[in-house]
Amino acid sequence: MSTPTEQQEELATLYALRLLEGTELEQFEAELAHNPELRRLVEEFHASGALLAHMAPPAAPSAALKSRIMARIPEKRSAKVVPFRLTGWLPLAAAAGFALVAAWMAQLYFVTRTENSLLRDQQALADTMVRSLRSQLETERLLTVAEREASAGRIAALTRQMQEQGDLAQFKIATLASLLADSPQAQAVAVWNPTLQEGVLTVENLPALEADKDYQLWVIDPQYPIPVDGGVFRVDPRTGQARYQFKADKPVATVAKFAVSLERKGGVPKAEGPMVLIGP
Amino acid sequence: MLSLSAACAAASALGDSRVRMNPDDPAPPEPRQIEDARLMRRIAEGDREAFGALYDRFSRPLYATALRILNDASEAEDLLQDVFLALWEKAGDFEPGRGTAFSWAVTFTRNRAIDRIRMRRRRAELLDQSAPADIGYADDSGPDSADQAASSEQSSLVRSAMASLPPEQRAALELAFFSGLTQQEIAARLSEPLGTVKARIRRGLIRLRDLVAFRP
Repeated sequence: MSTPTEQQEELATLYALRLLEGTELEQFEAELAHNPELRRLVEEFHASGALLAHMAPPAAPSAALKSRIMARIPEKRSAKVVPFRLTGWLPLAAAAGFALVAAWMAQLYFVTRTENSLLRDQQALADTMVRSLRSQLETERLLTVAEREASAGRIAALTRQMQEQGDLAQFKIATLASLLADSPQAQAVAVWNPTLQEGVLTVENLPALEADKDYQLWVIDPQYPIPVDGGVFRVDPRTGQARYQFKADKPVATVAKFAVSLERKGGVPKAEGPMVLIGP
Repeated sequence: MLSLSAACAAASALGDSRVRMNPDDPAPPEPRQIEDARLMRRIAEGDREAFGALYDRFSRPLYATALRILNDASEAEDLLQDVFLALWEKAGDFEPGRGTAFSWAVTFTRNRAIDRIRMRRRRAELLDQSAPADIGYADDSGPDSADQAASSEQSSLVRSAMASLPPEQRAALELAFFSGLTQQEIAARLSEPLGTVKARIRRGLIRLRDLVAFRP
């Protein structure tokens, strides 16, 4: 093993502080995989870097937090983790393993002939399944394209419908786009009637929610320092769709944007969770 | 690499016998670290009492770290809750041979806080044009505790060691750890060439390791 060079030391410090990116990161991780001395160095820098936490001004969380966390962990862990000590069992395991291997070898010859036949059948079956799956994937790809087009059509129709129904000049109509990497097709249209101070949000393709979460709508009016709460809603877990009639909890003069964030059940007075949709 | 005489001088200045005199000698783990590792093992076995004890030991420094990075008390508390719930689930993954439980938990907390701050920055960019503020992450200032004395012995040790670093190394290290900025952004913030900033981070972290860190 060789002593790390100055350049390796530099990369190791940056890696430990999570400052490497792109190809520099990939190359360093590739080198790390086969250089134990470098791994040891990174571990040292990880430990040293963690000490920087002590440079934060002292602060304590609220006293209630501990009970909230304790209430969320189960009384008993479902799968108990017991450390396995290899050294104590090694001689017994070796003896038992040798006996098993001897018995297994005796049977192997007879079993192999049968297995060969079975494997040929399985190979034929697997080929058929692969062909079937390819066909299924192509069908699903076509369906997804069709669904997206249908969603866009429905949104366009809704916009037209709203334009025809009311005094459109007063309405604020906004299309909200997805900020979710895993659901880029999520979208929504918000229509706001400033006279009645109410609106309708139509949502497509948002991911289904966990039981303790809600989506929360925010109306961004420049007269307020923080976005105005538009209430919470959930989506149909099968389709990801929702139609939500909402009112803002404060008088809204101008709507600059609408946003939807993922929050805990019942909503929050000020957004805390990740934002999932925003527009226009 | 810090010279032996410099390490000894700094150690003497720190006045702590646990400071390593020879940077090549791995220091033995402290009783506190042994106890932390023991608690982690009990947590992995489902021991709620051990979990409560670890919370009492780690919650303040982890919360302070999250608060310093996020600059928002309620978000820092929300993050701390996520961290401890994940810690309960992942305690079995902790390997004492690869580092201390504290550094494991700090790394976990910092990574999650930086993920949040980067997501927040992306939001701010999106809302920059028309929204008066961001989506609710007001720029609340954290507790002004510059005058508060460091409560723990290890905090004092780390603070003393950091104080012995040249100011430019200290600034680069703190920015690298707490800001969530990239290398290039740190260089821009400090108005220094990227190579200079990388070198400061390297020298600073090596000196900190040589003065106070424990080799896993």
